[in-house]
Amino acid sequence: MLAAVLAVSVGASRAHERPATRTVWDSVFSIAQAARGESAYAKGCARCHGAALTGGDQSPPLAGSAFLGNWNGQSLIDLHQRIKTTMPSDSIGIYDAKFVTDVIAFMLKANGFPAGDADLPSDDATLKDIAIRTSRPTPPQ
Amino acid sequence: MLSLSPSRLIAVLAAGSVTFLSAQGAAQNPSKPFTTARGEWPSYTGDTRGSRYSPLDQISAANFSTLEVAWRFKTDSLGPRPEFKLESTPLMVGGTLYTTAGTGRAVVALDAATGALKWTHKEEEGPRGAAAPRQLSGRGLAYWTDGRDERILYVTPGYRLLALDAKTGNPVSSFGTNGAVDLKADIDQEILPDITTGEIGFQGAPVVGRDVVVIGAAFREGTAPKSKTNNKGYIRGFDVRTGKRLWTFHTIPRKGEPGYDTWQNGSAEYTGNTGVWSQVTIDEELGLVYLPVESPTGDYYGGHRPGNDLYGESLVCLDLKTGAKKWHYQLVHHPIWDFDIPAAPILADITVDGRAIKAVAQPTKQGLLYVFDRVTGKPVWPIEEKPVEKGEVPGEWYSPTQPMPTKPAAYAKNGTSLDDLIDFTPDLHAQAVQVASRYKLGPIFTPPVVSKAEGPLGTLARGPTNGGSNWPGGAFDPETHTFYVASSNAAPVVLGLVQPSKERSDMDWIAGSAAPAGRGGGLGGGGLSVQGLSIFKPPYGTITAINLDKGDITWQVPHGETPDAVRNNEALKGLSIPRTGQAGFTVGTLVTKTLVIAGDPQVTTLTTRPRGAMLRAYDKKTGSEVGSVLLPAPISASPLTYSVGGKQYVVVAVSGGPYSGEFIALRLPTAGPQ
Ligand code: HEC
Repeated sequence: MLAAVLAVSVGASRAHERPATRTVWDSVFSIAQAARGESAYAKGCARCHGAALTGGDQSPPLAGSAFLGNWNGQSLIDLHQRIKTTMPSDSIGIYDAKFVTDVIAFMLKANGFPAGDADLPSDDATLKDIAIRTSRPTPPQ
Repeated sequence: MLSLSPSRLIAVLAAGSVTFLSAQGAAQNPSKPFTTARGEWPSYTGDTRGSRYSPLDQISAANFSTLEVAWRFKTDSLGPRPEFKLESTPLMVGGTLYTTAGTGRAVVALDAATGALKWTHKEEEGPRGAAAPRQLSGRGLAYWTDGRDERILYVTPGYRLLALDAKTGNPVSSFGTNGAVDLKADIDQEILPDITTGEIGFQGAPVVGRDVVVIGAAFREGTAPKSKTNNKGYIRGFDVRTGKRLWTFHTIPRKGEPGYDTWQNGSAEYTGNTGVWSQVTIDEELGLVYLPVESPTGDYYGGHRPGNDLYGESLVCLDLKTGAKKWHYQLVHHPIWDFDIPAAPILADITVDGRAIKAVAQPTKQGLLYVFDRVTGKPVWPIEEKPVEKGEVPGEWYSPTQPMPTKPAAYAKNGTSLDDLIDFTPDLHAQAVQVASRYKLGPIFTPPVVSKAEGPLGTLARGPTNGGSNWPGGAFDPETHTFYVASSNAAPVVLGLVQPSKERSDMDWIAGSAAPAGRGGGLGGGGLSVQGLSIFKPPYGTITAINLDKGDITWQVPHGETPDAVRNNEALKGLSIPRTGQAGFTVGTLVTKTLVIAGDPQVTTLTTRPRGAMLRAYDKKTGSEVGSVLLPAPISASPLTYSVGGKQYVVVAVSGGPYSGEFIALRLPTAGPQ
């Protein structure tokens, strides 16, 4: 093993005011919505992030461990606001909230999270209440 | 402030790391050579040679893990909104740190010891800035002094070159017009459609040598361009005192110039791009410039530009004063893989079989290091033209061979095969094979294919676009002649082509997928991963050390914590997986007296520590990890190091995901009672 000792943590992660009560493992979007999101993604995001979400010269991947690591522990509202307020990077703010929510449904599907029966709604309160977790939380004993 | 006495120059020379300024040369070139020998960091890569080397040794294996935060500088308010992609490596001269930062690409000067703000300069460029192909804060600045004047050279998003007074941040009025040179003008072509919206820019750092500042050129992401016609990425040298253009190098030769006929059917007339979006390297002693040239228009389709397409994806050596071409070597003929040349060429003075060679080493996305005699352009180890697969995309032109270095061995994975797919369990292997079955696999230079819904959706490639090593580049230790580089093995891209509508593009083929959109499954039901795992075997990212006297890899280690998606994966329960490293194209290596320092490109969340990303130190001789510190977000640029007031500092940029840009300066704990 390495001799490395963690001596310092600079800056704690963003503290969440209230922990979310659901996670992306709780089937939070529908297949139909992910399908809409896939078309929206092809139209609005693929030219930079790649048809297969693998990223480009400038744009990071939107599927896989880097993406999941970055967002693990955050809530869907964080991701939604990030996309809505900074994308597409060359013409920010052209997508409405529902468009972004549909794309998120597609991104969740592409990252291997389960679909359910209902669409993911776009309201802040719901999105805030769903945490992104790379692994399925262990069920309470 | 900076001491400009002659004694300083003598001290620099005496330090032994700069052996090149002859007395006569010094008289002709009053500007001092760029060196880290005195604990400064005066150019983007420390020097202008691509080295990223500092001889400082206060921070060592024994104490790296005790590093503390000296100061932090958040960049949110330097633009209209926070930035999440902070890629700058600042400069440090005379106790002041200079950097670009923020969504509007402001220039800031900070006290290097305290982080206190000294000045900021920000250009308001309106629609011209908004239309810039390369937005955001960029990768850095250049510094210049003649012993009296001290300047900061800066390229705005709207592609203007400014000279700022390093003491005040005010434009130097004698430079260009009121301190600025319009880089969209005086460029041997008319920038279309107009000067405001015309596509051309640069987010790399300018570089200065012998009073010449060299500026690159960059464009939008090019996998699916609107047109086969675009502006050309000519490279220019300017007089650092006046801003006068000294020379222009036509990266796409004009009629009558050598190389024009490598663009068949007159395609040199309309084809564009072929700029240098990465870093230019300068040999101050020899007076030579090294240009790592990118792909021509159409990253994955070259049917509109039949032929080898010089100087696309070529390493080009120019005379610094005149811009005259000395030599070139095309690394990829007729580029259709988006390999570009993504990083600063590295000048390495080496000894091969007893012979001293002034070499240049070029790291690449394809994970191959191309090493040349930098005076003659001759490969140090043979580079062989190898037959490669001819593709079948209608209209495409294929080069029958591609150059392949015989040495050093590839330091990153640059092809795909069934053997590369994960085999943690038979079940996972079967699922990975299932995903891969929708693509064409093959070694490096397997060409792109027409995307078909029934398969293949495209060629599954590693290296193109964002694999191997990218803009953070490598580092070179002049004491041990060792080259260090970080690279990714698990950054696959799909080289699939579709026919665009006429409104979308006038290209015959652009990147895209024929996978029927609207199934919601997307890309084989989970992208290029299975159960949250990359379909490719680890290590996902590595750091490699290569002895350039021998051309041999001396060590290679996985770099980066095992990602959460792997560590906590249900499908891997009960298996013990050694550290996998991380894929990512923001990892830059810094080499010091004893250490190689590099940050994790991804955030991880462990039970033993808070969420964050590690900045790691390796023993530069062995590659064993000797220390690490936790930072709050992905390390998103190459670190730098310097010494002020007897203390060594390491500064890194962090950003990404939900965390906006921040510089963090680390140093050893202050002695005395706590
Ligand atoms: C013009 C190119 C472009 C387009 C179009 C675009 N993006 Fe981006 N995207 C970028 C760039 C460049 C970055 C990196 C800079 C940043 O993080 O702000 C980025 C970053 C991101 C990130 C942050 C990833 C991370 O983990 O740090 C997300 C999420 C994202 N984009 C989603 C989207 C979505 C969804 C769309 C379509 C609705 C989209 N983008 C369209 C260029 C683009």
